[in-house]
Amino acid sequence: MKPLPPTLRRKKRYMLATMDPPGIEPDPRELYHVISESVTSLYGDGKAAAIGLSVISAQANQVIFRYTRGYDKEVRTALATVTDMADQRIALRAKVTSGTLHALRRKLPRKTDTEPGLSEVEYHGRTYCARRYHGQKVDLLEKGIKRQELLYITQDDLEES
Amino acid sequence: MTTTDACLHPYPDGNSSLRRMALEAGALGFDSIVVPDAPPQEYFGVRVIPAILIAELNPRVISGLIRANGQKQPLVMVNAGENGFNREILNLKGIHILRQVHKTRKNSFDHVSARLAAERGVAVDIDLSPIIHSSGLSRQRVMQRYNDLVTLFNRYRFSLTLSSNACSILDLRSVEEICLLCGLFSLEEDDVREGLGTAGSLLDQKGPVTVVT
Repeated sequence: MKPLPPTLRRKKRYMLATMDPPGIEPDPRELYHVISESVTSLYGDGKAAAIGLSVISAQANQVIFRYTRGYDKEVRTALATVTDMADQRIALRAKVTSGTLHALRRKLPRKTDTEPGLSEVEYHGRTYCARRYHGQKVDLLEKGIKRQELLYITQDDLEES
Repeated sequence: MTTTDACLHPYPDGNSSLRRMALEAGALGFDSIVVPDAPPQEYFGVRVIPAILIAELNPRVISGLIRANGQKQPLVMVNAGENGFNREILNLKGIHILRQVHKTRKNSFDHVSARLAAERGVAVDIDLSPIIHSSGLSRQRVMQRYNDLVTLFNRYRFSLTLSSNACSILDLRSVEEICLLCGLFSLEEDDVREGLGTAGSLLDQKGPVTVVT
């Protein structure tokens, strides 16, 4: 089959978004469903079809989306209303947009290193697994089997407790 | 002009410490945050504005609470109620922000309340959490209420504040995201940016000059 000439192809845009909290390995299919549900809920089926959103890649905490050119605002707004995926609280923050995947990959921000190994800490009388990153940020996951509490604090909070 | 998120709920109400909230808010473009029952502080260049949050239905009790808190002078936020209650509240001295208008019945904040709010310098808060967290009919209802509020705002130009009501750093939204979300109910970007600056300036407002002899 002969491919469509470039002038007839629908123009696409690519967007890089980061996913908080870091450390989640997102399933691209699950992520696609969450975001397309958000787009449809906000703009309806007609506009969702015109936006044509798809997930290109989802690795570590970086996600790349593809959508029809001219719908930046709608996609960013829809991303701002995504709050959870597979019973896990998340936040998607749009970072960079580009006309080609190649240009987007050049603009990728450097991956931030998470300190290797998780340490065990005591905070307000409870035991948590601590993940430190970005200098001050510390994420605490309560040790246990059921209903583990997740806390977001800073190094100063940990030193003060 | 400051850029302020008009209500956050850090640990123990939420799952993020006040410092972490301030750190993340700073990264998202805010230079101040309003936190109920917090001491006035500054973390990572982000000013913490203390506030008291009043959820009473009796204007007399509210008046008493404001008087009792008079010397500390934090930002006073009162939850909106029925039409008569709102009018009475807006006439009280010492109230800075009327919040949760979306939870009240339609027309409980009407043109009279809007004019009063503009005259008395009381800001009306737009809570973005139902826009972010809910969906379907409940979100549509909130958007309708905010659309009505924006119509009144465009006519009477009372002050607006914008809050994420975040209990976690994951609930925080950047200034750009807030502009986009407010676009859903036709609030212009300039008005959003002005609204983000309101909470920071409410405490600095000078009252009428009194001559002491």
